[in-house]
Amino acid sequence: MTTQLPPGIQLETVDDRIMTLNVGPQHPGSGHMRLIIKVDGDYIVSCDPDPGYVHRGEEKMAEYRNYIQNIPHLERPVIHDSCNILYPYCLAVEDLLGIEVPERAKYIRVIASELNRCVYTLYWLAIYGIFLGHSTMFMWPAGDRELFIDLLEAMSGARVTHAYLVPGGVRNDLPANFEERCLRQVDYFEKRIKEYQAIFYQNPVLRQRTEGTGILSRMDAIRLGTTGSVLRASGVDFDLRKKEPYDVYENLDFETQVLKEGDSYARSLIPYLEMFESCRIIKDALRKMPKSGSVRTKLKPNPKGGNDEAYRRVESGRGSLGFHIISNNRPEPYRVKISVGSFRNLICIPYLLKGEKLGNMPSVYWSLNYWPVEADR
Amino acid sequence: MSTAGGIIRALNSGVKHLAVKRFTLRYPEQKLKFVGDGFQFDPQTGVGIAGLKGRHILFHDKCTGCQLCSVACEGIAEAIGMVKVKETWKHNKKAIMPQIDYGKCVFCGLCVDACPFYALYMTNDYELSSFTKSALIYTPGQLAVKPNISQDVEIKIGKRGATHG
Repeated sequence: MTTQLPPGIQLETVDDRIMTLNVGPQHPGSGHMRLIIKVDGDYIVSCDPDPGYVHRGEEKMAEYRNYIQNIPHLERPVIHDSCNILYPYCLAVEDLLGIEVPERAKYIRVIASELNRCVYTLYWLAIYGIFLGHSTMFMWPAGDRELFIDLLEAMSGARVTHAYLVPGGVRNDLPANFEERCLRQVDYFEKRIKEYQAIFYQNPVLRQRTEGTGILSRMDAIRLGTTGSVLRASGVDFDLRKKEPYDVYENLDFETQVLKEGDSYARSLIPYLEMFESCRIIKDALRKMPKSGSVRTKLKPNPKGGNDEAYRRVESGRGSLGFHIISNNRPEPYRVKISVGSFRNLICIPYLLKGEKLGNMPSVYWSLNYWPVEADR
Repeated sequence: MSTAGGIIRALNSGVKHLAVKRFTLRYPEQKLKFVGDGFQFDPQTGVGIAGLKGRHILFHDKCTGCQLCSVACEGIAEAIGMVKVKETWKHNKKAIMPQIDYGKCVFCGLCVDACPFYALYMTNDYELSSFTKSALIYTPGQLAVKPNISQDVEIKIGKRGATHG
């Protein structure tokens, strides 16, 4: 007897040796997404990522709100990196509306986004530590993250969802004594994260688990279109802060961190090394910032964009993050497309996990710097 | 570097932390100090004044019932509704003032940016939990009350690490 199947559904042939494992969506190790993994014993035969569980319709929502009202909901996909997700939005809207940003506001934005990058990276590193069963590495970054949250709270008035960057500058000027406080905490942090070396990155147990797993070659990294730390860990020197400098990044003194190995150890080391660069950028920006001046260009109420479109991208904690906005003479954008680094990096999971041991899955998966909510928008 | 040496170094760096001061903030006993009296906005310059975005404060003698805060909140959280107040003011003929539902508010502070009359600011009060949803709806009368809170702990950085004291 043959069963009539509805169109579009195919029965799978089952091999006795192969077992299908659904990692997620309610698994603490996967985030809000599912990895459909087929295993032969302990070895992964194939892996099929299944994102989309936290789709919020951000792009559609943006079509019904004006350019200012879009700010609070557009930062929700990555609340830990909310300045960096608003950055390309603000740049694109400024292009559309033809707004000039004051010089001081540009520096403040850079400082805010670099502080936020550290917050994000520390949070990511904490989860990477707990994925590998290293609970100290969860506690330390989660605690040190407080230093940056404290600074951002003084700056913007909120611990995580700052709504600080707006088209035309920033919401408010820096509080009194901020520079001194920022320098003190960043200096301390630079000394502090050197301790992560001995306990985590130079730890032989961690190195044995992560070195040589999930190797992504330079050519594959380019071919699959990965961005951010994944691309730089495979030996491609590509950082939008250097290659397409936005705002004042061209005046600031920093370097791009590149490693050749392309394994999950290198991918986890790159964001750590970039935190030192972030600290350098913050200190340099504080030095070069104009000491006074306007921080926000006054907009007309309900500003309208012309019949125009704009695309701007920045280097976020997870790679290039772009906003493509089309406007049609209305206070609301006609279409907003968010292009995120997380989703691009997810594409290499099937290639990386093939032939890998199941126990290495969490370390390879999280080393991709993937944030499920951002990928689903 | 040998494996054993690496493990000893890792353990050693953990052991050093026995002498480091505790970083944790003991929250209900200690409360962090914030800059200023909360987020404020100057409509003349169009720039805000740094501060925590906590519960709002409404100045009844300045609010004209223009509904701009309510309009700004449409499409963000829809937390602000205009309600009738008993008192009548010369500058507020309609006698309506904002009422804020903190079950919906996202504390973005864009309503403060929208107020042209210096009537709506935010305060350092962030402890707004309650047992019922209806208790989270703050009437204009409740919003006018200045919060009375003591927040005095700061991050201190010394030779033995950062601490909240």
